[in-house]
Amino acid sequence: MSPTFRFPFRSRSRIASEVDEELASHLAMVAARLEQEGWSPPDAASEARRRFGDLELTREYCRSEDFRREKEKSRMIVFEELRHDVTYALRALRASPGFTLIALATLAFGIGANTAVFSVVRGVLLAPLPFATPDRIVRVWESSKTLGIPQGTFSEPDFLDVRAESRLAESIGGYFFADNLTGVDLTQRGTPERLSAALVAPGFFETLRPRPLIGRTLSADEHTPGRNHVAVMGYGLWKRRFAGDPHIVGQTITLNGDPFVVVGVLPREFAYPAAQELDVWIPLSYFGPDAIGRGRASHFLSVIARLRPGVTPAQFRTEISAITKRLSSNYAENSGWDAASVATIREAIVGDVRRPLLVLVAAVALVLLITCVNIASLLLARATARQRELAVRAALGAGRGRIVRQLLTESLTVALFGGVMGAALGYVAVHALVASGGVQLPRGGNLHVDGVVLACTFLVSLVAGLLFGALPAMRAAGPALEHKLRTGARGSMGGGARARRLRGALVICQIALAVILVAGAGLAAKSFARLLSVNMGIRPEHALVVRMSIPPEWSDSVRGPAYYENVLDAIRALPGVDAAGSIRDLPTRGKGETPRASQLGLPVADADADAIIHMHHISPDFFKAIGAQLLSGRDFQLTDRRGAPIVLIVNEALAKRYWPGENAVGQVLHAGSTDLQIVGVVGDIRQAGPGEPAEPTIYIPALQNLRSGMSIVVRAKGDPMRLAGDVRNAIWSVDRNQAISEVTTMEDVLGKAVSRQKLLAWLLGIFGVLGLVLGALGIYGLLSFAVTQRKQEIGVRSALGAPASSVMRMILGQGMALACGGVIIGTIAAALLTRQLRAQLYGITPGDPGTYAEVIVVLLGTALIASWSPARKALAIDPVTAMRQE
Amino acid sequence: MPRQALGLLQGTVDVLILKTLSRKPLHGYGISEFIGQQTGGELSIEDAALYQALHRLERKGLVDSEWGVSESNRRARIYSITSDGRKQLRSEVVELRRYMAALFRVLEPA
Repeated sequence: MSPTFRFPFRSRSRIASEVDEELASHLAMVAARLEQEGWSPPDAASEARRRFGDLELTREYCRSEDFRREKEKSRMIVFEELRHDVTYALRALRASPGFTLIALATLAFGIGANTAVFSVVRGVLLAPLPFATPDRIVRVWESSKTLGIPQGTFSEPDFLDVRAESRLAESIGGYFFADNLTGVDLTQRGTPERLSAALVAPGFFETLRPRPLIGRTLSADEHTPGRNHVAVMGYGLWKRRFAGDPHIVGQTITLNGDPFVVVGVLPREFAYPAAQELDVWIPLSYFGPDAIGRGRASHFLSVIARLRPGVTPAQFRTEISAITKRLSSNYAENSGWDAASVATIREAIVGDVRRPLLVLVAAVALVLLITCVNIASLLLARATARQRELAVRAALGAGRGRIVRQLLTESLTVALFGGVMGAALGYVAVHALVASGGVQLPRGGNLHVDGVVLACTFLVSLVAGLLFGALPAMRAAGPALEHKLRTGARGSMGGGARARRLRGALVICQIALAVILVAGAGLAAKSFARLLSVNMGIRPEHALVVRMSIPPEWSDSVRGPAYYENVLDAIRALPGVDAAGSIRDLPTRGKGETPRASQLGLPVADADADAIIHMHHISPDFFKAIGAQLLSGRDFQLTDRRGAPIVLIVNEALAKRYWPGENAVGQVLHAGSTDLQIVGVVGDIRQAGPGEPAEPTIYIPALQNLRSGMSIVVRAKGDPMRLAGDVRNAIWSVDRNQAISEVTTMEDVLGKAVSRQKLLAWLLGIFGVLGLVLGALGIYGLLSFAVTQRKQEIGVRSALGAPASSVMRMILGQGMALACGGVIIGTIAAALLTRQLRAQLYGITPGDPGTYAEVIVVLLGTALIASWSPARKALAIDPVTAMRQE
Repeated sequence: MPRQALGLLQGTVDVLILKTLSRKPLHGYGISEFIGQQTGGELSIEDAALYQALHRLERKGLVDSEWGVSESNRRARIYSITSDGRKQLRSEVVELRRYMAALFRVLEPA
């Protein structure tokens, strides 16, 4: 007889035959009754069938209903089991809050860090560029070996020649853009505001082909004077100042006092060439040659090109090199600029953040890995402690698979909870990163935690759960399970040696990972500390910075210099101001203009004639305001104005190079027909940032050669920001319409210049500390457990007269052996991995022996501390009690 | 020849089956026999409809079944009502009462 209740499920064919049997049985019963009523057997059978109705339809109907039921039932059972496993898992996790808390907290951190870093990687490196067929777009540079400039900008005539002669590019475009430098003043609509602007040359939009949100981009004929008062607006400005007005196209706005017609608005994700956001794109031709030099010596244009299909960047580079080589032999100003460099636009935009980002990816992956190893190790310990419970379950009929599934459910539950917390943490971190704005990431406007990032987080959580859950689950449900039940209360000793070895290996892994993280953190922190301790040549404390610009058309008239002086005088008159001066490009914010040594009439050998000299336009008192040291001679004075003899101040680097051992003050340079007299020597200012040495630099009085950009530095007696309002009002007392683009402190400016290094140092530091803590936890956990397990043995040893010190040494030795193993493996791995940090480090090599020595000492010290408490516990064991427990 | 039995609405078949099973578990043939006896042959369920209804009710979880043996020692599928089935039966009876009452208020106004 077949069983009346089959479990779990009936097959399709079984269902069919059961329905057949049921119906046949019914027909037989009806026929039997008919026979009793006197029907002949064959007639009875056919009558029964006739009375039944549609037999075939019913057969099919019953089969399909049964099959549906069977399917629902199986689904319910799977669900039911899962629910049971999860309930059980939750109960088990609640029962050991210590484990759950550590696992969840470390996981949340590990997964959160991964979520945040992945959001950044996705937004910056992976997300598609907002251009049509971006793979065909490249950046192009002129290069000069003699000047040591591998990637230089073009002059406008060079750009036009390249544009006319290239055959391999579909279009070539140019632009002039520098953060804080290219900008226009928006007036007549609310408070005057300095807008960031890209000055675009022909071909810019044809090359990138962004899709405007409304309107259009610039057309080819809008670069010609007379038609060039047109502007394309960025999304941010459109929303901020014009409330997203859908009828903005065709309206006139006032930029630099001139009317501009808005022709279109670009989508939010298009900010090229800015990193995050750009206000307007206007034709470069709007600025005449008096504002921006157009000679062949005046290199300022960045060039982009759209290659014809099938053309490789290398082919294009060959073509452009040939053109620039010819130009360099045709024009004296072009000497040396005889080659070209080409890179895909993606490389050009994110090239220099890729490496640091990948370093972070590696670091967060290591953090998650060490977290997983830690949890796996905790789970192993737990599984050993739970062997009896599992053995009972096995004895009650739970199969091996069922128990593995149960334990994995537990791990996955932890992982998913950790994942949810991690996702929340990552979300917060990314928002904080965006809100801080201090991290100057290219495409930084593109950062958010979206569905793809969350999906990835979910996946990472699952993988993590399997990673730390699989090994302990397999081991716990191993074949020795029933055996453990039989061995009774001391079951925990079963398979102990193997389990201990496994946990030992995991602890070694943890320590090794910790070494890598700590080494990375140490290198980044030391590098950052060295960067901060560099003497910049200025005293940034107490210095307020205000940026504005004088309308360029004023620069040659009398109004410009007068205005310039009046603004500075108004600020100097404020109480609480020690000194005020101005420069066009603040330190870390631009390298000034770059004439050749020969153009300035510097005493040079022919080979050095093309050497680049940096030139800055400053006001009197600039050095005093920024805290630079005048080494000899005098500062500029108000009498150094137009008409007076042209004077200049050189920095120490220049003085040492051209007049070694002599006094530069009093020297006169013959720059063409102009004589320049050196009146002072100033200490080197690290203009390019703390990581770069000062270049030979000259300073000339802005009053003799006005530039529109003005970064005013105000030395305050107290907290500089408290002067901010007064300074602004002082400027507005001179001209109510003056746009002020930025008010901040010099310290903030310098801080932003090293913000990336700072972030890297901080993040790697946090990861390093976490690695260290987890490593310590691993050793501590393993040793405490071992001491508890070996209580009797230790008790016997003490009873037999082993001195306390030998017991202590045994436990500490065990901990330190693991630590040493981990440190050796970790140091080798770290030496290999930290090489990738080379480009991110300042003043320290990735293999710095001092750092490694410190890392090893820190790790071993931590291991010793972590081993100490278990060792003390071992000492405290009372031999009598311990042996009685046997 | 017995009088032509009345046809039944589908929903009514379900109620009758549930009611029958609420007394005791039965196989399909037994259910049909019982309903015939109770109504003196006035109501009869076609076998095809009966079996379709049984399997449908089982799928809905209102009845359960297992293999057993009939009085005549034949292997038969025995149906029993589930607790969900009892609940369903109670509410259907209430519904039917309301329905009939309303119907008769129209057909035989007081």
